[in-house]
Amino acid sequence: MQYTDCALIMGANPAENHPISFRWLTKAKENGGKIISVDPRYTRTSSMSDIYAPLRSGTDIPFIGGMIKYALDNNLYHKEYVAKYTNASFIVKESFKFEDGLFSGYNADKRSYDKTQWAFEKDTEGNLVKDFSLEHPRSVFQLMKKHYSRYDVDTVVKVTGTPKEDLLKVYKAFCATGQVGKAGTIMYAMGTTQHTVGTQNVRAFAMIQLLLGNIGLPGGGVNAMRGESNVQGSTDFGLLYGNLTGYLNAPTSTDPLNATLAGHLEKETPKTGYWSNKPKFIVSLLKAWYGPNATAANEFAYQYLPKGNKNYSHMNLFKAMYDGTLEGAFLFGTNPVVGGPNAGKEKEALSNLKWLVAVDLWETETSAFWQTEAGSNPAKINTEVFLLPACSSYEKEGSISNSARWMQYRWQAIKPLGESKADLEIIHELATRIKGLYKNESGPKAEPINALYWNYGEGHHPDIDLVCKEINGYDVNTGKLIAGFGNLKDDGSTCSGNWIYCGFYPEEGKNRAKNRDKKDTGMSLYLNWSYAWPMNRRILYNRASCDPSGVPYNKEKAVVWYDAVQGKWTGVDVPDFVATRKPGDAGFEDPFIMMNDGVGGVFAPTLNDGPFPEHYEPFESPVQNPFSSQEINPAIQIFYGKFNERGFKADFPIVATTYRVSEHWQSGTMTRNQAWLSELVPYMYIEMSEELAKEKGIKNKDEVIVSSARGEVKAYAMVTKRFKPHKINGKNVHQIGMPWHFGYKGIATGETANRLTPHIGDANTTIPEYKAFLCDVRRA
Amino acid sequence: MATEYVKFVDVTKCDGCRACMVACKNWNDLPAEPQDFLGSAQSHTKTTADTWNVLQYIEHENSKGGLDYLFRHSACFHCTDAACEKVCPEDAISYTDFGTVVIDHEKCVGCGYCVNNCPFEVISLKEYVDKNGDKYRKANKCTMCTDRLEEGLQPACVTTCHTGAMQFGDKTAMIQKAEERVKQIKDRYPNAMVYNPQGVGGTHTVYVLAEKPSVYGLPENPKVPTSAVVWKDYAQPIGKMMIGATTMAVVGAFITNTIISKKKNGKNEDGGEHHE
Repeated sequence: MQYTDCALIMGANPAENHPISFRWLTKAKENGGKIISVDPRYTRTSSMSDIYAPLRSGTDIPFIGGMIKYALDNNLYHKEYVAKYTNASFIVKESFKFEDGLFSGYNADKRSYDKTQWAFEKDTEGNLVKDFSLEHPRSVFQLMKKHYSRYDVDTVVKVTGTPKEDLLKVYKAFCATGQVGKAGTIMYAMGTTQHTVGTQNVRAFAMIQLLLGNIGLPGGGVNAMRGESNVQGSTDFGLLYGNLTGYLNAPTSTDPLNATLAGHLEKETPKTGYWSNKPKFIVSLLKAWYGPNATAANEFAYQYLPKGNKNYSHMNLFKAMYDGTLEGAFLFGTNPVVGGPNAGKEKEALSNLKWLVAVDLWETETSAFWQTEAGSNPAKINTEVFLLPACSSYEKEGSISNSARWMQYRWQAIKPLGESKADLEIIHELATRIKGLYKNESGPKAEPINALYWNYGEGHHPDIDLVCKEINGYDVNTGKLIAGFGNLKDDGSTCSGNWIYCGFYPEEGKNRAKNRDKKDTGMSLYLNWSYAWPMNRRILYNRASCDPSGVPYNKEKAVVWYDAVQGKWTGVDVPDFVATRKPGDAGFEDPFIMMNDGVGGVFAPTLNDGPFPEHYEPFESPVQNPFSSQEINPAIQIFYGKFNERGFKADFPIVATTYRVSEHWQSGTMTRNQAWLSELVPYMYIEMSEELAKEKGIKNKDEVIVSSARGEVKAYAMVTKRFKPHKINGKNVHQIGMPWHFGYKGIATGETANRLTPHIGDANTTIPEYKAFLCDVRRA
Repeated sequence: MATEYVKFVDVTKCDGCRACMVACKNWNDLPAEPQDFLGSAQSHTKTTADTWNVLQYIEHENSKGGLDYLFRHSACFHCTDAACEKVCPEDAISYTDFGTVVIDHEKCVGCGYCVNNCPFEVISLKEYVDKNGDKYRKANKCTMCTDRLEEGLQPACVTTCHTGAMQFGDKTAMIQKAEERVKQIKDRYPNAMVYNPQGVGGTHTVYVLAEKPSVYGLPENPKVPTSAVVWKDYAQPIGKMMIGATTMAVVGAFITNTIISKKKNGKNEDGGEHHE
């Protein structure tokens, strides 16, 4: 980040929520870099920025769509990069169409698309058809140009509410990074993702970054500012419902191919790109989980993997709970009665469980949902609740992975308080006891549990070093650690619990997550500080920092380069490509090793809601979509009935969003129990403009009630100049914002913002739309 | 003599994270003191006996008609010519070799004269109860972590500051940095200035301010009050000779309290609001 010429911060407020990142942005500023803040509200980040532009929540795609048009119209894109390093030159099949907000292949009953209609054209030999002049009318480049021709500045400002001159200032400043040798970065967070078009918001960022040649170089990239210090680690290790570890897809029973391992591997493995090695990663994972019980004869225990047929996202789990079809739940460090969408309904849903195990440092609003203090009648709730005390990060050993993918080891500072235990220890005891209970049983329920290879030492304390070694992987015959995932095999001779981390522990005594060498190894990459997956690369896709011949686009900020004299690649970062290839070799120019075609995807025919980001209004919006007659994302799952009451403009004319403050974290469990943090932000409040306050007769510090179709929340009014009404199509649209950290437990207490938010999510990830919904506000 | 140090606070690099407030309470073992809702992000109106630094949040309409959201880490300035030191009847306040100004609680009798005479209003009295149940008061303020300086460490607030908005070092070097920084930011903040008021002989917390001092509620040109000079250099020595030291402190306390209560009535208590 410190090497960036321009940082566009959108859907994020890093000065408040990711303050450490601001250390590097401050350096970027000192080096002459510009910072742009785009946010509905003037934030602390905005105050640190060179340019601020407001926008209405939920209009990121028009904002960036307009920028794509601006870059194309004004010839500001990086031409060589676009032609050579992206799929802009690919020809799309004639079946691809776009009309009135819908892409071809739409099935209105299923609310889903037949994506095969968006496929790339191939010749008779199966090779992609390309046009490097980018002039073919069905080339991705021309289709993109056509798609975003509708996103002209005047239409954009009518939707986003951004003053035209501010919008143009942002476009001009950021598109200047399209110049060869310049680097721009985009930083985003939950303000981008927590929308019904969240994935497409990020896609829009990826597209503009590919057009400007900003991926794969220092000071470039699309940077997810994570919502938690180890979100990266969690998703790497399979936290997401559709993933096993290392971004391998969990097999579902909805595809008949998944009935066998051979079918699953066939379905999952592309013929080209690095994912063509996927069978090695999947088989090595099965070997890690089932050990000697995974053999070639039993499909490496593939049949023991659960194969569901549903969407198991947070909202769907709570819907199942609400409907009474889910019996029990383990909640590790999560507090949905404060943090979940439509939190009032999530609390109701919990009472349908037979049992609930909550693992946390404190009793939370969730584990106490049945108590009188929570507004419940304990006599009417039959859920049996177990609260297991967890210890804090300082009381245990392990690692976290940050958003730069560094796996950093942490050591125990103090012994756990009382009976509290590390999550690892809790899981270990649970697994060994369950295994004990099933030991003498057989049959389909007992078999997977008996087959599970749980070899982390004897006794109550798991040996964390053995866990580390299994994550890295070893030769199952010799026990020798694997040097890197290039050495994993699909014949059952190697295991690896998470292939992307294979290489962090390459030999005995060398856990590289423990590396702490402060020496700058060049371009501030610090290669010997911790370990960055994959293979300690610090900048992903760094091949793209060089031109096709291997010469860096910016010699002063070079990280890798092809040394023609020595005839090999060299540099200060670990190459993220096959570095043994020479000019003229197939794939020498390919910068995006993980993409099947070796290039970046301007066109993404794999997403559920279309290959190009298209604007749809949030589930609840006070504005008609001027781009098409499709008001909301046509591919989102909609929950009907009492589980998800929907509000409309007539009753709830104000746009609302939620956010965080520096001092509190997530649902506040960790921070609202800390006196020094509670004192800094002690009360729930609603931020609103002076204009709205005046209309509603509200004064600063008054108590107000915010209502949505789902509930009401009482809070203090914080009347501020930092919120202004949006001018949407000539009319004022008000927006308010509020922190979502509060609940009734702890030192700093307040009403829960998420009682207002809807049960609706993104078409690809099902992340809830916390960041744009409708409400009204009045004096309490 | 030890090197003369200065805490240099560049408010234009501060992102308002308030880690300095927590680090201060942590090092100095100060309790939380919840306040009423102030109507802004600010947690406390001003520094108190248990909150030695407060992050100010100011919404300011600048001369160009734009909005600035300004932050300032506010704490004791550690004046070179400190009014508090001057007026203390018990010699409980003194300068250290580092240039910091510290209060000796053994000597402090809680008269509050320092509180009233501080041009920056950063000293506060705290009430304690002794084992007999009797109440007594002591003056409290930021020590610039003098106990850390003695061990070769920097003040806790400076160590925790992640944007480099605070630095601690040799006085001359810090002032030079401040002056250079002002030149860099003049485009963005035309009223930017180094705040190192000479009316108090310069301070050991030197600021780069983005705006005029008054925008931050700071005096444009603070001075050691003449009355304090008269008190320290003339009245006190004579008074002590005549009526004894303890009695003199009580007289001082009476004067102070009278002035404080007058001042409080006419004062806007809300740090966040009077800038809006």
